[in-house]
Amino acid sequence: MTLLTPLALSLAALTIPILLLYMLKLRRKQEMVSSTFLWQQLLREQQANAPWQKLKRNLLLLLQLLILAALVFALARPALQVPVVASGSVIVLLDASASMNAVDVNPTRFDSARDSVLDLINGLSPDSSLTLILVAEKPQTLIAAETDKTLLRQALGNAQVSQGSADWESAFALAAGAGSDSTFVIVSDGGLPESGLPALPGEVRFIPIGESQNNLAISALALRPAQKSPQLFAEITNYDSSDRAVLLSIYFNDQLIDARQLSIQANSSRSLTLDDLSNNNGVYKATITTPNSTNSLNSLNAPNSQSSQNTLDSLPLDNTAFAVYQSSASRRVLLVSKGNLFLEQLLASLPGIQPFRALPAADGTIQIPNDLFDLYIFDGIVPPELPNANLLFVNPSSTNTLFEVGGTYNEFKNMQVTEHDLTRFVDWNNVHILQAKTIQTPAWAETLIESDAGPLVFVGETKGQRVAALAFDLKESDLPLQIAYPILFSNLINYLAPPSAFDATQSLEPGESLSILAPSNVDRIVVASPSSQAYTLALNQSTFTQTDELGYYAVNFISGDSNHVEYFAVNLFDGSESNIQPRETIQVGRSTVTPTVSQQIGQRELWGWLAALALLVLMIEWQVFHRRQLPSLPIFRNKLDADREAR
Amino acid sequence: MLFDETTLRKLNQLTLIASRVRSGAMKGERRSSRRGSSVEFADYRNYAPGDDLRRLDWNIYARLERPFIKLLEEEEDLAVHILIDGSQSMNWGEGAENKFQYALKLAAGLGAITLASGDALTVGFLQHGKVTAEFGPSRGQATLSRLFRFLENLQAEGETNLNRAMRDYSIIPRRAGLVILLSDLFANDGYETGLRQLMGRGHEAALVHVLAPDELDPPLAGDIQLVDIETNQTQDVSLDGGLREGYRTRARAWIQSTQTECRKRHIRYLDAVTSQTWDHVLLLEMRRAGFVK
Repeated sequence: MTLLTPLALSLAALTIPILLLYMLKLRRKQEMVSSTFLWQQLLREQQANAPWQKLKRNLLLLLQLLILAALVFALARPALQVPVVASGSVIVLLDASASMNAVDVNPTRFDSARDSVLDLINGLSPDSSLTLILVAEKPQTLIAAETDKTLLRQALGNAQVSQGSADWESAFALAAGAGSDSTFVIVSDGGLPESGLPALPGEVRFIPIGESQNNLAISALALRPAQKSPQLFAEITNYDSSDRAVLLSIYFNDQLIDARQLSIQANSSRSLTLDDLSNNNGVYKATITTPNSTNSLNSLNAPNSQSSQNTLDSLPLDNTAFAVYQSSASRRVLLVSKGNLFLEQLLASLPGIQPFRALPAADGTIQIPNDLFDLYIFDGIVPPELPNANLLFVNPSSTNTLFEVGGTYNEFKNMQVTEHDLTRFVDWNNVHILQAKTIQTPAWAETLIESDAGPLVFVGETKGQRVAALAFDLKESDLPLQIAYPILFSNLINYLAPPSAFDATQSLEPGESLSILAPSNVDRIVVASPSSQAYTLALNQSTFTQTDELGYYAVNFISGDSNHVEYFAVNLFDGSESNIQPRETIQVGRSTVTPTVSQQIGQRELWGWLAALALLVLMIEWQVFHRRQLPSLPIFRNKLDADREAR
Repeated sequence: MLFDETTLRKLNQLTLIASRVRSGAMKGERRSSRRGSSVEFADYRNYAPGDDLRRLDWNIYARLERPFIKLLEEEEDLAVHILIDGSQSMNWGEGAENKFQYALKLAAGLGAITLASGDALTVGFLQHGKVTAEFGPSRGQATLSRLFRFLENLQAEGETNLNRAMRDYSIIPRRAGLVILLSDLFANDGYETGLRQLMGRGHEAALVHVLAPDELDPPLAGDIQLVDIETNQTQDVSLDGGLREGYRTRARAWIQSTQTECRKRHIRYLDAVTSQTWDHVLLLEMRRAGFVK
């Protein structure tokens, strides 16, 4: 044991003033009494009875000296020498990836890792600083170069394990930026990439976490639309070193539709496909459990029961997966035209489109139906008031609120197709146009096809509306006769009237963002997470990023009183996380890092205990003092009287 | 310090009791065990030569032809001695709880009773181990105001020596009677010898133990130095709950043992704590303890 500030021991000189004060205090207060006759008798008796009275009288002094001793000793900061992993400038990378949820060490790997870091913090010498980086999907520095152990413990206590995979490259970049010439301590179960991690500017130490590799995972669950009904594909991987049998249960909207027992060999996968599923929209859930008869009964009765999964393997997180089936609903498209065979034919042949047509009246005025449509196509006509929805203009007749329309021209030189998702496979080489309108591409739009004289096709998004325009009449070009025509229009219509507000066919990884296109008539969007937390999205916000949790999310499109729900799923289909086998070594840069045993000398300070002791003695001293004083209070006297009567 | 009319009237109805002293010198209002010359008939006895013929009952002689002497009750007075402890320790207590003032009031009350019942009253003031002031012997209601003036002029001071003072009182030949000592008994060498000496002179003794309430339960705490107002002796005590409780027990035991001691010696005992009103003690407690009737 060493004293960090031995100079503080000189404070022991405070004993002298305490003793002096005590002597002064013993110059007793004088109290007149009528006679000391009885007192003398009493004290003669008492002193005869109790020779330790003198000591008792000095009990307060002894206690006060004890408090002083404890405080002085605490200020001298005694410390025990304990072996630690690192000291000096320490940067800790704490793995918070999904595999750290494994329960092979009690209570979880992450808690065990946190305990390791706590040991490290407690053993830090006073001049050491520590930086704590939590490695999850987005690595973050919890606390930087801090020497205060209380703050460090607090920051460590706030660390939460995630359900996603860890981004080690970013974490290493963060760590390398945090300090050179430091000791880097990686606390992980070893789910690091096998190679490709950059070297760190300093010594790297590795504290391995985890014991077991016992894990089975649903490594894939996907739906695809087939001819008649959707198909479900599921894959289960056994990461354990022994062959395992599992019970795979598949639920559709919480109704068990299929359960089968599969035996999977060690370190291999098995997949299965389910056909003839319902055409209805819904959420498919797959769980794997131990093929125990009671458990399977349980899971039949209570499909959401978690208890049956806990015994299967060490990482329950990946034993459940979700897939969402969203049949593409037919989109309502209104064609406002004096008659355009090409467009009508095209709309009739596109899948998932329900076309409607509106004819202008004889005097040219247009009556737009009150029903809402996903897309309005204005062919050669522009209504005085544009509906607040996605619009496609073909040969716009006049200037409107979205763009200006000028005169016609017929010189088309150097027609070009911009590289764009919407112009993929569009071959414009053989297209000829008789005449087109001069339209300036608005600031919010981008030109898809243009000639030297101006844009021919442009698309863009303004005020939540998706707008596209063709500057020429289809009948005045040979475009409808080209292959480019159905491709371009199919792309445009899919863009302007997307099949769904978001694409839910593929499940997301944790932390991946989802772009949601709000249908035009929606007031607000509320996303409910698997843990029933609600996130309200602004209408102009088209991405949802809080996808850290595994499970399925409900996206509620609320307009007025009606509510339309669509789902998407977030699954951990990550082999490196599901493979929870603890690694013996990790590869950083070119060197292989082996687990570190504690070797450096750290110090564990003991002043807290001494301060606690001083506080305890102070409380005893207070009690002793008041035992002497309290009887003069009436309440205490009443108690004494009661005692006396009891006797 | 004068009594009000009601109290005085009550006092006039009371009489001090002395159970064993029978040596009246003058005609009083008490029946004596001696046969005497009053009008109350007591008994007959045979005539013996030399008897006063005036006392022969001629009626009996006529009937029985034998001479009988008619014995008549003697009525006599009682000598009452009130001794007041005038030491400094008696001068303790605030206001009405002052022991000395309290003792003076009790003395005045007892004196008033004595005078009202026609007995002879002597008041002795014990101070510095001797009798420093004396009142009486006197009798009759008329001397009551003189008694009050005498009492009003007394001052408590000096050390207690009850034994010596009582011996001083007993040396002078006095009529044997009832001796009432008013004291707090805070005397290191005790009071027993003095009282025994007085009783040896044929007196009957009674003791009124005057104590202030804070002497039974002192409102003190902590490390203090007690100063005796009488002797200026100091005593260091560290008062905690246990010691306070010990003191209370000790005080009670002291009163108890004094009481037992008195009963053994046929001394009437009354402890008068000054928190009680003095007339309550005089009119009720003393009657209950058999001092007065």
